[in-house]
Amino acid sequence: MNIRIPALPAGSRFIVPGLCIIALSAALGGCVTATVEQVRQTSTTMTEEDSIVVIGRRARPSEQEAELDFIECVSRNMGSGADAVQVISEQAFIDAMFPWFEPRTAPLNTSDLPKLMQQPLLAGRLREIGLKYLVWVEGSTKRIAQAGSMSCSVMPGGGGCFGFLSWENDSSYEASVWDAHTGRTAGKVSSDAAGTSYVPALVVPIPLIARVQNSACSSLAEQLKQFVQNSS
Amino acid sequence: MSNLLNLARPMLAGLLLLLLGACVGTTQLEIEGGALPVPLLERTPVNLGIYLDEELTTYVYREEIENKGTWVVPLGPIQLPMFENIGTGLFESYRFVDQPVAQATTSASPLLDGVLKPAIKEVQFSLPSQTRTNYYEVWVRYTFTLLDRAGNPVGEWNLPAYGKASDENYGSASKGLEAAAIAACRDAMAFFSINFSREPSVRKWLATGKPLMPAPPTTTKPAPGAEPADNTSDEQSTSGESAGAQA
Repeated sequence: MNIRIPALPAGSRFIVPGLCIIALSAALGGCVTATVEQVRQTSTTMTEEDSIVVIGRRARPSEQEAELDFIECVSRNMGSGADAVQVISEQAFIDAMFPWFEPRTAPLNTSDLPKLMQQPLLAGRLREIGLKYLVWVEGSTKRIAQAGSMSCSVMPGGGGCFGFLSWENDSSYEASVWDAHTGRTAGKVSSDAAGTSYVPALVVPIPLIARVQNSACSSLAEQLKQFVQNSS
Repeated sequence: MSNLLNLARPMLAGLLLLLLGACVGTTQLEIEGGALPVPLLERTPVNLGIYLDEELTTYVYREEIENKGTWVVPLGPIQLPMFENIGTGLFESYRFVDQPVAQATTSASPLLDGVLKPAIKEVQFSLPSQTRTNYYEVWVRYTFTLLDRAGNPVGEWNLPAYGKASDENYGSASKGLEAAAIAACRDAMAFFSINFSREPSVRKWLATGKPLMPAPPTTTKPAPGAEPADNTSDEQSTSGESAGAQA
């Protein structure tokens, strides 16, 4: 039986394999192992009117400063899904509370929080935005190992790559949950993830990327959602 | 084949020039104050004029870095929105004045208690490649002078401000440095707002009902051969100095 494939435009001979490679890469990906732990110090609960904010510690240059996109990712994941909670964006919260949560003025411990919240203007603003929990995130994603090499060449008749690359990323984040009503630490949630990415290349490189930071983000967000909504 | 090579040569040359230009050209930053917030504080019971002189509003810091070209950091344009927001959030009332002496009262503009005159004394910045960290960093040292309504000095104090931005969050060096400069401006606003009424000279002036201060002694030209006068003010405080140095 002959199957007639309709003629494709000239450039399509590169598009089709390209799409296949992207689909293959997405399907395979690199393997990621993630671990989530939590320590509860007080009971927690959230109503529909309550909101939560996730912010990064940025007091000074540090290897442990969480990336902006990681904070955004955790906030976004907590605000979506079946058991979503109401999340205020980091920048909106810091602007609304300016100048009290700037890197040099933000409270360092929960013991500093009650004094801050006693200020009538701040207390009023917190009531206005309905803040129940403040989540401080510290940590980062680092490349801890890499190996291999790849060389690519382009010639008039075409080009290609040959070689093999691999690298290992490690994500380690810790979130401290502060109760803005009581001024006490409600608990801590930590998320660790590690994974190795590979790029084998035999003419065409095929990236098999381990989405380590994304895995740490989704597991931290899921755990935080459960933590603040279920007191058990 | 030869056609292809003829086409590729000028393209490669152009690309090379572009890369070289990117390495050693001038990087002009844009420091925008559109997103600066208004401080959330109990307003200080004072009606102040804010005098932003031309030196401040047109302040541009330039630095040439080896193999990185010239960097131009225009901090002047952001000063107006910064002090607009400080005035709105911190003072009972305020208005911008065009001279450092309180102007005559009118029905539309009540008598000012005094005039605040900020100035930028020093700016420094660093790139991640210089400090071997992941951070763009900016330091700005302000000097604030508070004058009474007759233009006599109430007090003068320094405020070191610091801002940083991680290179992991910004796609280009100019964006990273812009973010660090804006962070330094926010830091200056935050620290000034929280500490204005705690500044010893300001606190004393406010507590005593914002009186007229004695005029500074007129300086006379020293006689030839005489020892130069020591103009260093003993009352100059340096609030925030330690925090800035620490940062």
